[in-house]
Amino acid sequence: MSEQAQAVAPPVALLSAVGIKKSFAVGDRQLEILHGVDMQLYAGELLALMGPSGAGKSTLLHILGLLDRPTSGQVFLEGQRAFELPAERRAWLRNQRLGFVFQFYHLIAELTALENVVLPAMIHQGRGAYRRDRRAHEHKAEELLVRFGLKDRLTHRPTTLSGGERQRVAMARALFHDPPIVIADEPVGNLDSATGEKVLELLFEEQARRKLSLLLVTHDERLAARCQRQIYMDAGQIS
Amino acid sequence: MFRTFLSWRYLLVRRTNLIGIVGIMVAVGALILILSIMTGFLELSRVAARASSADVTITPFFADGEQQQPQPLPLEPSPLLEVLRKDARVVAASAHLTWFGSLIGDTSISSQIFSQGTDAVVRLVGIDVADEFAATHLEEFLSSTPLRGQKVADPKNPFALPPGMEGGRPRPVIVVGDSLMRTHGLARGDVIKVGTVVFNSKQELESADFECIVGGSFRSRENELDLQRVYVDRTQLARFLAGLRSQEDELPADARTYSEILVKLADYDRDGARICSDLKQRLVSMSVLHPFSNIETWEQQKRVILGAIENERALMAIMLSLVLLVAGFTIFAILSMMVSEKRRDIGILTALGATPRGVMQVFLMIGFWDALIGATLGCLIGTWLALKIDPIERWLSSTFDFQIFNREVYLFDYIPSQVEPLRVATIVLGAFVCALVFAMVPAYRAAKLDPVDALRNE
Ligand SMILES: Nc1ncnc2c1ncn2[C@@H]1O[C@H](COP(=O)(O)OP(=O)(O)OP(=O)(O)O)[C@@H](O)[C@H]1O
Ligand SMILES: [Mg+2]
Repeated sequence: MSEQAQAVAPPVALLSAVGIKKSFAVGDRQLEILHGVDMQLYAGELLALMGPSGAGKSTLLHILGLLDRPTSGQVFLEGQRAFELPAERRAWLRNQRLGFVFQFYHLIAELTALENVVLPAMIHQGRGAYRRDRRAHEHKAEELLVRFGLKDRLTHRPTTLSGGERQRVAMARALFHDPPIVIADEPVGNLDSATGEKVLELLFEEQARRKLSLLLVTHDERLAARCQRQIYMDAGQIS
Repeated sequence: MFRTFLSWRYLLVRRTNLIGIVGIMVAVGALILILSIMTGFLELSRVAARASSADVTITPFFADGEQQQPQPLPLEPSPLLEVLRKDARVVAASAHLTWFGSLIGDTSISSQIFSQGTDAVVRLVGIDVADEFAATHLEEFLSSTPLRGQKVADPKNPFALPPGMEGGRPRPVIVVGDSLMRTHGLARGDVIKVGTVVFNSKQELESADFECIVGGSFRSRENELDLQRVYVDRTQLARFLAGLRSQEDELPADARTYSEILVKLADYDRDGARICSDLKQRLVSMSVLHPFSNIETWEQQKRVILGAIENERALMAIMLSLVLLVAGFTIFAILSMMVSEKRRDIGILTALGATPRGVMQVFLMIGFWDALIGATLGCLIGTWLALKIDPIERWLSSTFDFQIFNREVYLFDYIPSQVEPLRVATIVLGAFVCALVFAMVPAYRAAKLDPVDALRNE
């Protein structure tokens, strides 16, 4: 490392990727999808990640979300080398410090809207602690859902909700533990533009209110333009 | 916390889990019920076997020719009985004279007997009533309520002529087994003939009919006895076998008058194990018993039949365990299906901070709930059925007019059943182990799934 690089302290990123490479085994060959990706997500920042389909955006997001291990490179989460931590610790970070919003909502069909939202708390706590805090958790989940306009949908199963409603439940779940970072992979890609806009409006509102670091993957230039910063990815590289 | 909650929710929503639960329930219930009945049966059989035989039976070997001992052995039981009765461990001893024959009856029942075939074979057992009462349970058998026979007029004196038969030609009185009486349609006071063979004066076999009067029945609850045994006075039988046909003739000196000695011990549990070899040594050294003679405890005598029931129970347990195995396999199949179906959920849970171990436990717990519900229900139902099987069977039989348990075949007036808590606990534990072991494989597979794969697409 050069002296100059050391002298200029890099801005503190909440989440950053350094030299991320990722290959998948396809047959007996290794297919490299990410070819050394560097990127930072700063505190309170609303960052858009754009790029053509197949560029590797979702693959990168899974790595940043500590769900998938990079073939090489480092992910720093709040200054820690995330993939050098024990797996339990990474699970804890996913639970407490990260929120996920997926394109296909990914709610659990057997649970009601409210139960889906408190699921992170159920995963975090043992039986005794959860029982003790249950009322508080449910209250908090209810508040979130009410804020997202789902006052009358608390006990609905996902199958009885519209796409927009499902995504709002998924957002409430991602925000349940008040994580500093939210990763959203085409959160409105599956919704018509009017509905999508309304849903995204809610997410932006929360981002501003909570000073969230929000990493948003989108194909929509207009949405990306509303973000503070945009990065582009093509063929496994940030350009 | 999510493990309990989610596994329970999955269980409730997925109705296919019912198959696993019902499977476990049926297996546990059937195991408890059938094994309880077998245990009850075994217990009753043991009691019956015990009651119908003496603690120790001595079967003397009577040698002829060169096998004869230096001094001839007594052909009469009294020297042996005398020695036995002096033994402090012995309470009573009774001599038996056993012979075989076939009921041939008189014309009124002969056709019936012909049609019975080998069922007509009987074992004539000559006894001394007082000795027999002291050494065995005969007195009890004579007074126990007959299932199909007819009690003797005076249980204290079974060989007395039945009322109304006094003054006829003097004939020996016999007491027959409860089942025998019914099978051959005998009644108290019937005059019947037992066809047999005896040795004549030239030591040749010749056929002879033992004509006698049925005095009544006894009931020991042991199949073989109740179906085949005919009690008669030992002296009368000995005289018949010696070929004496008139009351005045003296019994010849070379007539055999006993074939077994039944011994009752003061404390079977204490002395039973050692007394056989002990007695044999003493009796042989005193020249009252041939060394080839046999001395056995009741357990040694009945080991075959008791072993058979015990084997049957073990076999039954193994077969029913297969049902449990099948139930376990359905749990395996259902859970495997569920893991594939829930791949997306596994990805979601992982994204929300669940560890692979947590994911595994969700599916293990489904197996656990299956086992808990199935085994609890099976345990309750099985135990209840086992405790109430007799009234239930009676009710079913009377309601549907179809006899399920034929009491005549088994010689018990009720369906025996004995619930052993330890056995029940073992069965329930087995169900748990089975369900969990079978749940382990799909649960492990769930933990190994790549969450990203599952999250990628809808
Ligand atoms: N497990 C895998 N094995 C092999 N190839 C994979 C695997 N996962 C992803 N890929 C490939 O990696 C490339 C990038 O996929 P990715 O889903 O990250 O793209 P994306 O930028 O999110 O596209 P989209 O905008 O359509 O969502 C694709 O060509 C995909 O086929
Ligand atoms: Mg994608």
